Amino acid sequence: MPTDTKRVRGPDVSQSPVLLGYKPAAVLASRGPREDGRQRDQVDVRPVFVRCGLVSQAKGSAYIEAGNTKLISCVYGPRETDRKDETDMKSGRLTTDVRFAPFSCPERVPWIQGSQDKDLSLMLHESLQPAVCLQRYPRSQIDVSVMVLENSGSALAHAVTCASLALADAGIEMYDLVLGCSLQQVGSSYVVDPSYLEENGWRCNSSESRGGLTVAFLPSLNQISGLQSDGEMSEETLTAGVRTCIEGCYKLYPVIQKVLTKAVRRAAPPST
Amino acid sequence: MATVQVSEAEKVYILHGIRDDLRVDGRGCEDYRHMEIETDVVSNTDGSAKVTLGHTAVLVGVKAEIGKPRPMIPNEGYLEFFVDCSANATPEFEGRGGEELGTNLSNVLYKVFSNKHSLDLHSLSISPGEHCWVLYVDVLLLQCDGNLYDAISIAIKAALFNTKIPRVNITSDDEGGKEIELSDDPYDCMRVNVENVPCIVTLCKVGHRHVVDATLQEKACSVASLIIAVTHNGTITCSRKVGGGSLDPESIFEMTETGKRVGKALHAPLMKLLQQEESLSKKRVRVGFLC
Amino acid sequence: MSPMKLCVPGESLCSEGDCNPGAGVYLRHGYIYSSLAGFVLKTTEGEKLPVISVVRETEAQLLPDVGAIVTCKVTSTNPRFAKVHILYVGSTPLKDRFRGTIRKEDVRATEKDKVEIYKSFRTGDIVLAKVISLGDIQSNYLLTTAENELGVVVAHSEAGAQMIPISWCEMQCPLTHAKEFRKVARVQPEYLEA
Repeated sequence: MPTDTKRVRGPDVSQSPVLLGYKPAAVLASRGPREDGRQRDQVDVRPVFVRCGLVSQAKGSAYIEAGNTKLISCVYGPRETDRKDETDMKSGRLTTDVRFAPFSCPERVPWIQGSQDKDLSLMLHESLQPAVCLQRYPRSQIDVSVMVLENSGSALAHAVTCASLALADAGIEMYDLVLGCSLQQVGSSYVVDPSYLEENGWRCNSSESRGGLTVAFLPSLNQISGLQSDGEMSEETLTAGVRTCIEGCYKLYPVIQKVLTKAVRRAAPPST
Repeated sequence: MATVQVSEAEKVYILHGIRDDLRVDGRGCEDYRHMEIETDVVSNTDGSAKVTLGHTAVLVGVKAEIGKPRPMIPNEGYLEFFVDCSANATPEFEGRGGEELGTNLSNVLYKVFSNKHSLDLHSLSISPGEHCWVLYVDVLLLQCDGNLYDAISIAIKAALFNTKIPRVNITSDDEGGKEIELSDDPYDCMRVNVENVPCIVTLCKVGHRHVVDATLQEKACSVASLIIAVTHNGTITCSRKVGGGSLDPESIFEMTETGKRVGKALHAPLMKLLQQEESLSKKRVRVGFLC
Repeated sequence: MSPMKLCVPGESLCSEGDCNPGAGVYLRHGYIYSSLAGFVLKTTEGEKLPVISVVRETEAQLLPDVGAIVTCKVTSTNPRFAKVHILYVGSTPLKDRFRGTIRKEDVRATEKDKVEIYKSFRTGDIVLAKVISLGDIQSNYLLTTAENELGVVVAHSEAGAQMIPISWCEMQCPLTHAKEFRKVARVQPEYLEA
């Protein structure tokens, strides 16, 4: 495991002060309204703030804010593949990179990419690949990178949405936008677009079965391009959860469309 | 993953066959290949198993070590997974080639076991906050012919069933510190309850139908697959879509149902087989690695 | 100009019978969908069906395609070939450079075996070339200058001044009046300013 040799982390036995002050939070209620006032058992996603074209150096970029979760995504390319032996003559390559800023989570995340980052990068890659018209870019490589500035729940779902917006902003040809939505199932009720506590509070919580689900969806083509679930769920809850996430994606679609059209209009219309 | 090149004509042939529920080797869409399981193959481990599924061979070794529990969860032990793709399987895995695949497989295994009921982690605790059993599950890929997830999960279940963790006594010595004593009797050990350990079922979408236990050729014809980890009572602990294509929501629901059905049906015969093998104990003929 | 319609990737524009697909769109199940976020442009050419395409303000990134005229800069020379960086495709600047190769036998159309790369290109020259092949995995884009309109357009002499072309194979430095050999491009009369 590559270690970070540039930063002095303190002696190995040192622990974060968070652990000493850690009290299993008052058992997160699994009934009644959620902490931030949203409803349970309803498709109640957090309102999002999205903007395209923030990073001037990148071909395309997007920033998304949902509640306290903040992500920024940049797209570079198409450009020549870095490694000659990975050049594909018939289609382009898509590389994805998800990173958490060290200050993004309550516990400091090490700078070197851990297995969680690699896992999310792979999930993002699988979610975006069906949507990008790679065969129109032979011999080239498109780099998508997502940086999570603050992780306040459902980072992967918003990373998918942000990355596909950045791709559209970069002018990369796509079959459809990719939208992400996630859900957390507690016992018999579910919460859509969970916050960090709702996602990770399971360790200290009761004996109810919990499960988390993230879905990446192509709204216009009605296809699922990414699916990941963990925890324990029965088949019916999984099926119902997927349907709920799809509904959540449809709720997000008009907002994303508006943002893209605004960004295109801002870069003045071409003179014909 | 080791890949094969498939021509267009072969793809059409495989697609049409699967459409009529007939695969290249004569199986139906929900049939597994011939599977051989043997436990206790490596004597230096606390539990081991080797699974051969068609031409895929996987070897799992479990070692139990005493370690410090995770700071956030002081009264539970934990598992660490590591998957190694050896260069024996295919030359692509030489050097660091197999590292990415190994990391992906380990990540999925972590997700599959990241819930309360798969394994009773409380029983792995020795003294809360200070000592606990850490089970290091090391998976070695010997041969790779498709369907790695299924073979690995069955091997892990068999290896955990076979794991014998020595019993320990905690005594406090003179200065008030804790001392750990292992019992002298080599047969005095604790077994892990593997009732709820899930098995992974991989379903590949080929054309309009999906198949279980795809070979490498069938995998080359499919755009996407769904991995489902199912326990013996039908609970799904982890599911994931892999591959570069997209799936219809309807197909996902169908595949989930098939996966649950196939996965559920896998557990009972497996447990029976493992218990049967256990009962043979010393008298059985060890097959080992020779076939 | 009437305000044009905006669209996002995946938006259904029209059915296949109404228009022909142009750039930035794709066909699926008999309908035309947009594949870019931009303005919808419908152009009619006489009797045929109108062509529908989606354009963005910044022209879509063009990749060097076979037959395209590219502007490139020579980075290194070798008795057998010259390596170049492709900077422009047509008149669109590329944001990232692609690599190309001009082989010795592709420099001129006549007397191919008597070509000397040193007398055709030097490092730092700006060259107009045409793409003949995408190459394969190991090699770069293959380019040719074997036409009258292709070849060196801007070159600097050893003294550092920009040289003036005097014939198809020579350029002269205005400061030292020294002549140097290059494979010069014959600029089209319409591009020359009087």
